[in-house]
Amino acid sequence: MDRITPVINKDSHFAIFPIVCVDHCAHIANVKFSDVAIDGEKIAQVLTHGYNCYQYDMVLLFLDAYIEAQALGCPVRFTPYSTLLGPRSIQGFDRTNEIIKAAQILMEKIKVPLFVSIKGPFTLASFLTGMQDFLKMLLKDPTHAKAVIEQALDFQTKYLERLLEVGANIFIGDPVASATVISPVVFRDFAYEPLKILLSMIRKKGALSGIHICGDTAPLIPMLDTLGTDILSIEDITIKSTTLKMGGVSTSTILRGSPADIRTEMERALQEPRLILSTSCDVPVETNPDNIKAMIGWAHEYTDN
Amino acid sequence: MQGVNLKLDEIRKAVIEMDDVKTAQLVNTALKQGLAPQDILNNCLIPGMKEVGELFTRKEYYVPEVLLASEAFYAGFNIVSPLIKSQSTEKKTKVIIGVVKGDIHDIGKNIVKVLIEASGYDIMDLGKDVSTERFIKAVTIEKPAVLAMSSLMTTTLVHMEEVIKELIKKKMRRNIKVIVGGAPVNEEFANRIGADGYAEDAMQAVKLIKKITIG
Repeated sequence: MDRITPVINKDSHFAIFPIVCVDHCAHIANVKFSDVAIDGEKIAQVLTHGYNCYQYDMVLLFLDAYIEAQALGCPVRFTPYSTLLGPRSIQGFDRTNEIIKAAQILMEKIKVPLFVSIKGPFTLASFLTGMQDFLKMLLKDPTHAKAVIEQALDFQTKYLERLLEVGANIFIGDPVASATVISPVVFRDFAYEPLKILLSMIRKKGALSGIHICGDTAPLIPMLDTLGTDILSIEDITIKSTTLKMGGVSTSTILRGSPADIRTEMERALQEPRLILSTSCDVPVETNPDNIKAMIGWAHEYTDN
Repeated sequence: MQGVNLKLDEIRKAVIEMDDVKTAQLVNTALKQGLAPQDILNNCLIPGMKEVGELFTRKEYYVPEVLLASEAFYAGFNIVSPLIKSQSTEKKTKVIIGVVKGDIHDIGKNIVKVLIEASGYDIMDLGKDVSTERFIKAVTIEKPAVLAMSSLMTTTLVHMEEVIKELIKKKMRRNIKVIVGGAPVNEEFANRIGADGYAEDAMQAVKLIKKITIG
């Protein structure tokens, strides 16, 4: 059942999805992440396990942040979880086929909307050159920085086309484009346009879209609101936005808080007129499943009442 | 005297304006003119970097600006530092800093490091992807007053608690203050894992260290 679209269409108050990703699902399924990270069938299996375990209102196929960077030649380590080891320096190792395969399997198995996570071109460019060098390049050599972003965008448009063919909805993660890292002016000049291009492709296909940016997003909201994304996943959902927000429970609360702490944050979040009730960022791997169950259980209880 | 003051202020401005080449040139000129390296550090480089930290806190500067300003600071610091070390007998408060195991995001840590160093502390940087064992070993050998840990990923948050538990187990916790920071970290989390403090940004980290090491 699709509970997400009615919220987007302003027909429903909220839907629930703590940002449970492949790493946590592998953990609770007792499967080594390094085995899952390169195998589309296993990705689908553990995500299905997570969905069956928690019964949330959407599934997010987020394996790790480095799928595209690795395909373009960045070294990545999979143990215990994915870690980017450096900028582009080796022959690419392409896992996008495994993501497509997993998405195809999940589209068949899961009866709630499936979103596949891809990286925003700005963030992907920072991985390709090394984040520190990239951030300095933005001010010292903006032409070069734009050229790297263009390469990232080129890869992402082709990858996105393939994902949209499968029928997946898309979540774009662009954490480096946060106002915790860059100024709104840099966001406008470097990160905004590539996001707009990707979102326009998603809209044309009739798929749903979301953007996730961590940290401070307040000064970016006026720009993010003009992008035309369906969902905005941000840390502070009290910020005014014309876009449907996603969030409400902090990552540290889901990891270390009690069910009562989680409920307090959820009650506060539900003051919002419409919301995808969620965590502020991805659920940490070692989160106690009881906390996630408590979050979803209480959301269902709230809906029933 | 006015000419000397002008030079000092130019060095401070060069740091704020993120100009590493100019900072190094001005520091060398100031040394040739007979200015004491300690004065250059205390009256130009450190105030310059502190102002950069304030600009960052006020959101007039962001990470790219702070990274470039840090390069300018170090362009001068690396010239005067060896000259000061050979003269100094003063014992500084030691701080150990590192990014926890599994996490290679070290930009935030590097910014905190430069501001701690610019505030006159003796800093030891363990780098990124630092195992619990390495943190414990460094604390055992160096006996710092403060251990600062950062994490940018939700997958690696748990290692901060692991280090604190290990310090307790080894009966070393009472002798050291532990502070934490990073994007997914907040005050509540710091309290829950038993840290002595949480700093939201680099300037707060410096203020926090000052506060918890007094007395």
